[in-house]
Amino acid sequence: MADKDTLSDAKRRKFLIKVTSVVGVAGAAAACLPFIDSMNPSADVLAKATTEVDLSGIPESGVHIVAWQGKPVFVYHRTQAEIKAMEASNGVLDPESDQQRVKQPEWLVVVGVCTHMGCVPNKSDSGWLCPCHGSEYDDSGRVVRGPAPKNLEVPPYKFVAADKIVIGVA
Amino acid sequence: MKKFIVLLILCCASSQVWPEEATLQNIKVDTDLPAIERGMDDLMNNCHACHSLKYISYLDLLKLGIDKKKVDFMRGDQPLAAPLTGMLSDEAAMQMFGLVPPDLSLMTKAREGGPSYVYSYLLGYYNTPDGVTHNRIFPATKMPDPLGISTATDPAKREELKKTAHDIVSFLAWASDPHSAERHRLGYYVIGYLLFLTALLYAVKNRIWAGLKKH
Amino acid sequence: MKNRVIGWIDQRFPLSSFVKHDLTEYPTPRNLSYWWNFGFLAGFVLVLQVATGIFLAMHYRADASLSFDSVQHIMRDVNYGWLLRFMHATGASAFFMVIYIHMARTLYYGSYRAPRELMWWTGQGLLLMLMATAFMGYLLPWGQMSYWGATVITNLFKVTPYFGDQIVTWLRGDYSVSDATLTRFFSLHYLLPFLIIGGVVVHLVALHTVKSSNPSGIDLAARDNIPFHPYFTSKDLFGLGIFLIVYCIFVFFFPNMLMDPANFIPANPMQTPAEIVPEWYFLPFYAILRSVPNMVGGVVAMGLSVMMFAFMPFLDRSRIPGGASNRPMVKLGFYLFIINMLVLGYVGAHPVSERTLLIGHIATIFYFGSFFLIPFISKAEERWLIKRGLSPELKELMEREAREKTQSQARRRSGDTK
Repeated sequence: MADKDTLSDAKRRKFLIKVTSVVGVAGAAAACLPFIDSMNPSADVLAKATTEVDLSGIPESGVHIVAWQGKPVFVYHRTQAEIKAMEASNGVLDPESDQQRVKQPEWLVVVGVCTHMGCVPNKSDSGWLCPCHGSEYDDSGRVVRGPAPKNLEVPPYKFVAADKIVIGVA
Repeated sequence: MKKFIVLLILCCASSQVWPEEATLQNIKVDTDLPAIERGMDDLMNNCHACHSLKYISYLDLLKLGIDKKKVDFMRGDQPLAAPLTGMLSDEAAMQMFGLVPPDLSLMTKAREGGPSYVYSYLLGYYNTPDGVTHNRIFPATKMPDPLGISTATDPAKREELKKTAHDIVSFLAWASDPHSAERHRLGYYVIGYLLFLTALLYAVKNRIWAGLKKH
Repeated sequence: MKNRVIGWIDQRFPLSSFVKHDLTEYPTPRNLSYWWNFGFLAGFVLVLQVATGIFLAMHYRADASLSFDSVQHIMRDVNYGWLLRFMHATGASAFFMVIYIHMARTLYYGSYRAPRELMWWTGQGLLLMLMATAFMGYLLPWGQMSYWGATVITNLFKVTPYFGDQIVTWLRGDYSVSDATLTRFFSLHYLLPFLIIGGVVVHLVALHTVKSSNPSGIDLAARDNIPFHPYFTSKDLFGLGIFLIVYCIFVFFFPNMLMDPANFIPANPMQTPAEIVPEWYFLPFYAILRSVPNMVGGVVAMGLSVMMFAFMPFLDRSRIPGGASNRPMVKLGFYLFIINMLVLGYVGAHPVSERTLLIGHIATIFYFGSFFLIPFISKAEERWLIKRGLSPELKELMEREAREKTQSQARRRSGDTK
């Protein structure tokens, strides 16, 4: 009888220690979260996660380069001739239709970072030319000559007014 | 020994409380959004022309819960992340007042008495019989009576101004510590958890030591 | 698997034996009261300060034109930055509170006496490093009180003979406290905690050589010792729970209570705030500085006031074992000393007036007087207690200690160093 009592006593103690350990470890783990979260982008960095662009000031065949999350974004006002040419082609190395790449045909919005090694391509007569390794892109930002493997990335953006877009939110 | 700890704590606490030259009207700031928003409007009308709030951005106002349309109207073509800088240039201020009006972001923390100081100061203006305006809290102030309390004689008007000052101070208290509501909320959970854990630890400690006393 | 890994390590590093010898089976007096929790708590706060400090340093800028803004950036924009900062700022006060209680316990129970002198002195060294770390950390927010506190304290070194002015300039790296001062204070504020950790290791090695003292003040026989684990692990953790509750109440609900309003105004070298008040943990020593009318005398007195504790093993000449519980005069002296500390703290916190000056003078004289009187009081008390009659256990202990002492002396004389 006494033996049984001590046994259950020891069992109860073991259980209590187990519960306390679980609660304590859970609390310690939760206490780590603020420390980890403090290394995530802070509010002022997040505020720069979206960029507003006023389109009204960009003339036809003019490129406006804006910083979005620290990267250059090309906002290109295309001419009717360019739109026609682009809609007719489907790209070369990374086929994609022009309609998939624009929200309004007049406006091409692409991240100006070469998909090869991350350089910023320069505007050329027929699109963009990367100064680092000679990759070429057309006026839809599609790669027409390597070594770049992919088309220029289209960032998430939306028209908030007829002549205003916000980059960073779809 | 316990008494000494209490004494020590009291001593630390009292070291923060200074005798004020003029007595402050002690107030408790409002923490509800309508009061803070009224305070923001009053501050924009009465203070913001000269004083900046450089640690507060339009985005902070949005996060506080101010209507998006209102914030967009306030900021005009400035980006959301822009701070609420003053409209008066430093040079112009130097010419007008001989000093640059202080930034208000931390004002309720930067004075002994905190919000009560700012409240009493705003309402501390009075006119001497020969028509000169003074401030009983901060006699050397260069700021002209912003709310017009020194010329308000109508009791109803004075009450209204008191309410305005109270709202402004509530807004400033929020601005000086925007996370205070979040801090308190989290604090209750943390303390609750710790009480529970400590009770468990006490039980564990007793169980373990009970085994020792038997032998 | 676990056993094989541990076995592999044990062949190369004394892990198991270390854990057994210094942790799980480390013999600890069973009668330790809760006053013995504060050493562990000090270690915990040290870890807490290092952890929060490292994460704060990721966002802080040590630059006179940026540091005030960067602290606001931490408080407002960094995720949980306000929590880290308040934990760190409150942690500084908690650290001193815990250390002062730890020291008070040592004084009350006479734990500084042989064979624990080295523990007391390493502890004194740790206190000095802690004070230096706290002082340099206080400059980092670059508020008015930061700036003028650093100006006043660096100016204390002006009293150095011959090289005073050069030393002050050297400390600051400029003719006044400036950007150069801020960056070096930041560098040292980051470095010193690691030296403190090293000091703590020495402190603990010494502890595990001489073992803990205990409330009876008598070195206990082996049968009165119990293993550290699980008895004192559970007791320390319970104490930690209580500490965390008090600490978190301050962090979450009164974090600004110990912050000076002047420090919410950016540093302005052209204008001193109306009153310069140090943080509460420096107030008694600051009061002593102000109480001595001579500049050199004041600085020396303040330095000495911190260092006086180190002389305790020499000053206490009583052979009565144990702490204040066996020694009524020491007990009375202890409480008077604590009250005097609080009085000094009060004086330090208030502006100089005729009244505070007078109180400050008396309290300062009492402060140093109590140290100078200890040799005489302790000896007189010993004679009185022996005349009054000691309890048989105490008598036996004293005789044993005296016997051991003469034996070891005899051994040393005969050249047997074993």
